[in-house]
Amino acid sequence: MSLRVEDLRVAYRARRGEIRAVDGVTFSIADGEIMGLAGESGCGKSTLGNSLIFLEERMKHVGGEVYLDGKLLPIGDNRAMGQFRLREVSIIPQYAMSALNPTRKIGRIISDLLKSRGVRYASVLEELERRVALVGLPPGLLDKYSFELSGGMRQRATMVMSTVLNPSLLVADEVTSALDVSTQKAVAEMLTEFRDRQFVKSMIVITHDLSVLAQIADTIMVMYAGKLAEKADAATVIDEPLHPYTQLLLASLPEVGIRYDEAPLVGIPGRPPSLLNPPAGCRFRDRCPFAFDKCSQEPPFLELQPGHHVACWKAAQDVGQKAAKQVQGAAP
Amino acid sequence: MSVGTTPPTTAGTEPGRVATAAVAVPVGSRRWEFMYFALRNKKLVLGLGIEVVFVLAAIFGPLVAPYSAAKFVAQPNLHPSLKHLLGTTYFGEDVFSQVLFALRDSYLVGFLGAACAALIGLVIGFTAGWRGGVVDEVLQMFTNIVVMMPALVLLIVIGAYLKQHSAFFEGCFIGVTTWPWVARAVRAQTFTLRSRDFVDLSRMSGKRGPSIVIKDIAPNMASYLFLVFVLLFGSSMLIAVSYDFLGLGPTNSISLGDMMFNSQQWSALVLHVWWWFIPPGAVMTLMVAALLIANVGLDEVFNPKLREM
Repeated sequence: MSLRVEDLRVAYRARRGEIRAVDGVTFSIADGEIMGLAGESGCGKSTLGNSLIFLEERMKHVGGEVYLDGKLLPIGDNRAMGQFRLREVSIIPQYAMSALNPTRKIGRIISDLLKSRGVRYASVLEELERRVALVGLPPGLLDKYSFELSGGMRQRATMVMSTVLNPSLLVADEVTSALDVSTQKAVAEMLTEFRDRQFVKSMIVITHDLSVLAQIADTIMVMYAGKLAEKADAATVIDEPLHPYTQLLLASLPEVGIRYDEAPLVGIPGRPPSLLNPPAGCRFRDRCPFAFDKCSQEPPFLELQPGHHVACWKAAQDVGQKAAKQVQGAAP
Repeated sequence: MSVGTTPPTTAGTEPGRVATAAVAVPVGSRRWEFMYFALRNKKLVLGLGIEVVFVLAAIFGPLVAPYSAAKFVAQPNLHPSLKHLLGTTYFGEDVFSQVLFALRDSYLVGFLGAACAALIGLVIGFTAGWRGGVVDEVLQMFTNIVVMMPALVLLIVIGAYLKQHSAFFEGCFIGVTTWPWVARAVRAQTFTLRSRDFVDLSRMSGKRGPSIVIKDIAPNMASYLFLVFVLLFGSSMLIAVSYDFLGLGPTNSISLGDMMFNSQQWSALVLHVWWWFIPPGAVMTLMVAALLIANVGLDEVFNPKLREM
């Protein structure tokens, strides 16, 4: 069991109150697992990823615990978190392309980072050069400035930098979003390669792009308005999603070769609720075509099928009925 | 002023022009690229050239000065001649020798003033900009208090209590009273730089504040800081001259401002002893002007946007 998150709550401090961007999230990630974290903008997926490594000043750890390899991560205490960063948890940030100081050579940036972790640059240099070659970057990379590299190269350099100390958990935040499709594929493959070579034990890949997750993720977790909607292995989420939100999210993806007049693209009408004072009950209720009276109570995040967690009354009902039918069918 | 410090990458891309340029550039060497742009910049070369002459004069002048600065060596109010290149004062001191001796003091005060102001301004600016919040508020308030302090009055009051004061004191005093605008500029720059992505990643990776400020933030405004230092240097010398001219200058040495003060005291203007007050004034003007011209040139060298290929 690599990462275990229990009832994590993180809020943003605002003048009008607390914006509960992550509101009671419980999940776990196994060793060697790549978990995709999907959802629309503002659903709290980046906040969740960031909170595992660095809480900004305006962010507040409201409650819940995070265990990494059995150790409690002091995520509310920025100073105590220092010793875990880069060694145990690391992040490839959303803006990986501009994450390199333009006034220092790549090698110097990495050596500065390592020094702050108390690691000698020379002791990892050999491995570093091997990884630079592995991700297809030129050998002289460490003597270059970031502006001498293309966007994709910078992204890869940042990936090598973030994983140099073999962290247990890597949070990859929208790493493929700003790239063209062919580079996206290369970066996605690199992530699995890093996992396969055990540079990182497990990974959270945050993206709004479900097609990328379909390629690389072992499991997919869908978030909606600060809460978990569904979690299951990748194939199940893509092929047989149970939560209406996941279903609609998948239905809104365009398909290559299908013209608009043949099948107009459907979106999800409405917008997510404000997280300042979120409504009681299921937060997707207002946009959900299947909403019924029970949805005014908050749905629990239940394991409806083995390994398939869903927070939805409708899904629970359907699964229950199906199971009942099977029992009836099997009885005579 | 230049903030972007992206080092030059363009020198090698226009082989035709590089080949015809006066300075040969080994392609691929960044230091030589800087020199290439530095030496091609007429303002920088002119300003630095003048400055180097004066600096050499300040260093070696007293060794080669024909007379001592404070001795009465000839008839008073002599016109400039071969024997006394810039004539003599009301007391028969050699003006040329005095100028040579005075240069040292002006540079010393300029350097000390700039160093003090830069040091205080950087520390306060970086701290306020990096920490923000209450720390920033307090430091800003302190800065504003110093801005409001009448430096001249303060100097008169302090001067009344000191038996004598030196160029060292004057330099430090100027530094201590002129740092606020440095602090404000550095604070503002730090605010914009601290939210840059690479700073964020450094924080997320567990780097500590001081290390981030020194290694991630400061280098990104290095050229700006350098230009600030040059400007402070010039302004410190000018402030020193005005203090000296009011008779508040160092009491145990001679400076350009002192010479102007004395000439004014002993009616040089009325007596048409122009060689007493014009040389120190002209030298001071040239020194500061050369610094400012070099500063504009440096800005063009540092800032790729201002650079002419």
